[in-house]
Amino acid sequence: MTAVLQLESAAESGGGRAEAVGDFAEFVRVSMPGLLRYGHALTGNPHDAADLVQSVLEKVGSRWAAVQSKGDDPLAYVRRAMANTHISIWRRRRRENLVADIPDSGAVAPELSRLENEPLWQALRSLPPRQRAVVVLRYYENLSEAEIADALGISCGTVKSQSSKAMASLRTRLGKD
Amino acid sequence: MGDLDDDLRRLFSDDRLDVHSVAVSTEAVLRGANRRRRRRNAVAGTFALVTLVGAGIGVSRLGASSPDGTAGALLTTSTSAPTTSASPPPVSTSSRTEAVTTGQPPNSTGGNTGKPDAGGTSRSSPKSSSSPPTPESQPGRYGTLALGMSEADALATGSLVEPASPADPDNRCKAYATKSVPDTDAVIVSPVKGLVRITVPNYAKTPKNVGVGSRVADVKAAYQNAVQSGSSVLAPMSATPPWTYVFETDGTVVTAVFMRLNANDCTSV
Repeated sequence: MTAVLQLESAAESGGGRAEAVGDFAEFVRVSMPGLLRYGHALTGNPHDAADLVQSVLEKVGSRWAAVQSKGDDPLAYVRRAMANTHISIWRRRRRENLVADIPDSGAVAPELSRLENEPLWQALRSLPPRQRAVVVLRYYENLSEAEIADALGISCGTVKSQSSKAMASLRTRLGKD
Repeated sequence: MGDLDDDLRRLFSDDRLDVHSVAVSTEAVLRGANRRRRRRNAVAGTFALVTLVGAGIGVSRLGASSPDGTAGALLTTSTSAPTTSASPPPVSTSSRTEAVTTGQPPNSTGGNTGKPDAGGTSRSSPKSSSSPPTPESQPGRYGTLALGMSEADALATGSLVEPASPADPDNRCKAYATKSVPDTDAVIVSPVKGLVRITVPNYAKTPKNVGVGSRVADVKAAYQNAVQSGSSVLAPMSATPPWTYVFETDGTVVTAVFMRLNANDCTSV
């Protein structure tokens, strides 16, 4: 807070920005654990989750005033950006990802490796990212189909079809069909 | 069916989903955000400098088909200035030649001889005073992108960042980020009308010198025909095809500027 005040007095015209920076730092601090968790659910591994959270927050932070002026809930905005960024990163790296399906167990902490052993978690990892994002938004975020469509910028019909494909392949993988 | 739903909910509320082993520090995020902002501002600085130096060239060339990319239009303008040195008005060329007369024959074809000060400096200043910009009829283009341009043409400029994302619920219009504006909806393309929205980078100023950070009053003073629409200020341009500057504001200050095709048919624009 003092830092914010100092910054404010130092920069007359930049006062608003200093306030915004302090505000953004607070936002990052408060939302970080939840965003990492959500990133973990989206990407399927903690390292990619950290990368995803960092890069999206950097982008959002560099235009914090503009993001706030849009009037949306910034947290919802960041979560949408994470889902979309994850999907587009995957498109770029499609080839590597198809091969890199097996986690490098050496770097994973013990409690995470147990999660890695969950059949459902493994089945989720095999889903293409958009299907996975739809599942995460539905079961992790508890969003409705319309909200998912809005968040991912796709139609309700696409949400439905992606969701049913995802559920079908999860069932197949788990031997539940 | 119900089982899988429950299993998924259970999995997603599992404690093991918490990320402890890899932390992202707030400081690292703030540093990264600053770095990104500085990088943008650096481009903005170059922009301002080159604008001062080459206002005339900048303005008049935006109208013509300037070869610069959207990625920091003016950055590229600065590099392209020497190449265009053959065409600008003879006035300046002669003044330059006078300055160099002592040792060099005039056939050294202006500016390419490696003299760092040979850029657009002397050339542009006379021009900026002689041809004031007439933005009310300026064409709707920013860098290599133009409103109404087809998606294929826009992609061919290399200014769009792929992949596109759907811009409306019907999946009809597409949205792209550009090399100068990272927002995923910086440019919106209609399958029928072509480019219907081009977002101007927040460091850029319109030819009437307003942009992100300008006061609403200044925008209205600069564009006499501007009208208020909600929190946005719209300044229509009578070019072909007609388009409008949309200044999004927070009530007092401009927060974003984009160019919108009047005949746009995308719901999200």
